[in-house]
Amino acid sequence: MEAEAHLSCRGIAVEYRSGDYLVRPVDGLDLDVSGGELALLLGASGCGKTTLLSVLAAILRPVGGSARLGPTEITTLTGSALTEYRRHKVGIVFQSFNLIPSLTASENVQVPLRAAGRSGRAARERADALLEQTGLADRRRHRPDDLSGGQKQRVAIARALALDPPLLLADEPTAHLDYIQVESVLELLRSLVADGRIVVVSTHDERMIPLADRVVAMSPHTPAREDQITRVDLTAGQFLFRQGDPGDLIYTVEDGQVEIVRERADGSEEILARIGPGDYFGELAPIFGTRRSAGARALSDARVVGLTPVAFRRRAKSSRTQTQHDRPPA
Amino acid sequence: MWLVSVRDLIWRRRRFAIAVAATGLVFALALLLSGISASFDNEIERTTASFGADRWFVAAGNFGPFTAPSAFPASRVRAVRALPGITEADPVAMVSATTTTPRKRSVNVIGAVPGGVGPAPEGSFTEETDALADDSLGLDVGDTLSLNGAAFTVRGITHGRTYFAGIPTVVVSLRAAQRLGLGERPLATAIVARGTPRSLPSGFTALTNSEVAVDLSRPVAQAKQTISLVRWLLWIVAAGIIGAIVYLSALERTTEFAVLKAIGVSTRDVALGLISQAVLLAILAVALAILLEIAAAPAAAMSVEVPVVSYLALPLLALAVGVLASSLGLRRALRVDPALAFGS
Repeated sequence: MEAEAHLSCRGIAVEYRSGDYLVRPVDGLDLDVSGGELALLLGASGCGKTTLLSVLAAILRPVGGSARLGPTEITTLTGSALTEYRRHKVGIVFQSFNLIPSLTASENVQVPLRAAGRSGRAARERADALLEQTGLADRRRHRPDDLSGGQKQRVAIARALALDPPLLLADEPTAHLDYIQVESVLELLRSLVADGRIVVVSTHDERMIPLADRVVAMSPHTPAREDQITRVDLTAGQFLFRQGDPGDLIYTVEDGQVEIVRERADGSEEILARIGPGDYFGELAPIFGTRRSAGARALSDARVVGLTPVAFRRRAKSSRTQTQHDRPPA
Repeated sequence: MWLVSVRDLIWRRRRFAIAVAATGLVFALALLLSGISASFDNEIERTTASFGADRWFVAAGNFGPFTAPSAFPASRVRAVRALPGITEADPVAMVSATTTTPRKRSVNVIGAVPGGVGPAPEGSFTEETDALADDSLGLDVGDTLSLNGAAFTVRGITHGRTYFAGIPTVVVSLRAAQRLGLGERPLATAIVARGTPRSLPSGFTALTNSEVAVDLSRPVAQAKQTISLVRWLLWIVAAGIIGAIVYLSALERTTEFAVLKAIGVSTRDVALGLISQAVLLAILAVALAILLEIAAAPAAAMSVEVPVVSYLALPLLALAVGVLASSLGLRRALRVDPALAFGS
């Protein structure tokens, strides 16, 4: 592996179309990880962890920002430089292992080596050494179907390490493992930073936090304001929150009307619902820790009350007078 | 990335074997049809060559000596022999007959002068009841051959002397042919001659061997055209089978291609891997097709004479078909987004 690298991301923004809508799962993200560090991208599903990994793997091009591994600007790579980067600079451990079912464990590890032009013998020797290092020497002739989840994960890690890349990306490495397998895989991942490698792991599993040198919370920041009630007065046309904003509070309309608006990819708007006095909206984003999937705009002068999910639940329980109407999951 | 391609073929070996068998069968049918079509040309060449003539004289207005012969007095041969440039000439009569030995079937009867110009070499037979029979009739020397109820003795066996798409030829004396098809009158349907005439006797048209061959090929032209069409259809079917197999493989391996691209395998290598599977399928199918054709040809009712060039061209054509047919699957593989590897 080459000299200790440094991973630096500035203002990374990723945008893609989802049907008619534009989604921005990563918006202005900064990240710095030094060689020999394990960084954890922590957050719920859909918060952009895998998207960021795809950017770092030079598989997805962001709409804004910069990502550098050492002197290499990842976001502008094309052609042979791109292939070279994917081949030699980054190793990827996919969430579902993604081993090739027709190949044995050893052959799976040999794939990147052969793609890089290593001879069959050299590739075989390197693959077998890596499988030994990952504790799978006696499983090298087994096909993925004959391996346990943990063993598959270790083959995937060996494949990612085949060309000794300075950056290793692991997407939800514990997602398909039982607790016994989790332990050995985490131990292995942690050991990989020892020789100056950068390891970036995406996970929603908070048990991994103690392993990390650096934790990046990918879910929208939710301030701790337990029972706080926030009253907001809106003038007609004013946005309470916009699509893509972090979701922290659930709102109930006290007075006036609020419309739920979704921005389409072509810049037009779609009115999803109109909310009147006594109705609530915007409950899913704060409950699941995701960004707002639509904006809320006052249709007339209005007053809304914002509650944290805990406070909202408590209030709903006590009053039992709330009526839930059809509304979009803003 | 041959390793991945070869292992994948082994992994899907049953499907691959079925595809090879199906494609091989289609290629074998194409080969058999090529052989049948080629036999039409070969039989014409052999039949015309068997006369050993340079010129064929037929009644003026006739297109050829075989397709619609008009009879004229055999004595007109003297006028032809007298032509400057003609060294030899003899009358012949082409008539149709039905044989019942060994089974009922149509035969082409050629009446010729033994030892003269024509398909009856010196000493091949002497009696009016003697005949030379093509081996496709299944008779041996000494067997009795019945033509329109008249008995003949087989004195010699010829090979490949057929025309009009495999109808066997029987050579008898001119006199016997006149008895069989010309009402026992001293008529002939053509005069075959050696040499190049510098003029024509009145009432005759002279044809070269090539013109006679064209005349002979006219009745089978439609059959050849149909065979050609069916052969094209068979190539399309073969391409369809290969294309479907490769496309199915590309569909099933979408995640695999995404992973390969994501871990640094070049798109070119991914493409070559898929094409190599199509090529291997086509080559194995060709090998099987040749074996099937060799095994099946003797059982065919018609003569199958696959030209050597067809055996040589088949692998090349199969390669082209394989590559072409895999283009759809290839297109899909090339378009696979490596980001899919993260999503599955």
